[in-house]
Amino acid sequence: MKEERKAKSEIAEMSGSAALPRKSGEMVFHDDWERKSFTLAVSLSEQGLFEWHEFQSELISAIKEAEGDDPNHPSRGYFESWQASLESLLAKKLA
Amino acid sequence: MTTHNHDHPNPYHESDRDEATNKAMAERVDKMEALLLEKGLVSQGALDKLADIYENDLGPMNGAKVVARAWVDPDFKKRLLEDATSAIAELGFGGLQGEHMVAKENTSDVHNVVVCTLCSCYPWPVLGLPPNWYKSFAYRSKVVVEPREVLKEFGTNLPDDVEVRVWDSSAEIRYLVIPERPKGTENLNESELAEIIERDAMIGVTKVSAP
Repeated sequence: MKEERKAKSEIAEMSGSAALPRKSGEMVFHDDWERKSFTLAVSLSEQGLFEWHEFQSELISAIKEAEGDDPNHPSRGYFESWQASLESLLAKKLA
Repeated sequence: MTTHNHDHPNPYHESDRDEATNKAMAERVDKMEALLLEKGLVSQGALDKLADIYENDLGPMNGAKVVARAWVDPDFKKRLLEDATSAIAELGFGGLQGEHMVAKENTSDVHNVVVCTLCSCYPWPVLGLPPNWYKSFAYRSKVVVEPREVLKEFGTNLPDDVEVRVWDSSAEIRYLVIPERPKGTENLNESELAEIIERDAMIGVTKVSAP
């Protein structure tokens, strides 16, 4: 209990389909653009451009759309959906 | 090593992108980043810092709250021992991705300790990121064979009549040790108790001491 937490729990501890990809607790980024897309979204929410729950709703919808009828074989990866959500939310916020 | 799948088979965990897809996505993200930097909506420094925070953050240290509740609420402890996954969810701690939680209670007769002999499976939704020693070959190989010796290295000396049980974690099952509530803590409330419960005690390599 002594270690200070720095990450926001509403982001770090998202559950269900939106849960961040982790391996034994450590975040998994396969490619650099995933990390970049992740930090862009977090940074923009910290700047107050949108509330995290707004982004999370977009992400859940994007993942659901990618899963279609077969959740085991989504048409795109988690971070592809992540990036699509961010683009769609930005289009609304910056319009 | 094909039968023992230690990582949850999450389709998002594997990168099976071809080079062209990866390149297209990288360009898409770069374009967005450039635009946001230009507009001054993000800064490179902030982005680097955030990557560091989220990749190295210890994660939820909720285990202490779970144990403290078990110490003060016998009904909760009963539920925790019967079905730890549901009991932990009662406290609102999420983040499990298919792993099943199992709680093991330390008593004056039995001492439980957790390991992952093959890699580093760890109850991270309750304990955060695993410490380096937990991932070390020395710990993983020795604790199964000579648990008492390993516990001594952590300063935990158990009487000979205490039975030591070692639990090997897997992709499906993650263990949480409920340490013994130390004497002299009768006057502490639940949140004060949570403050004294350290990670190592919930892995089972140490005991909790009264403050």
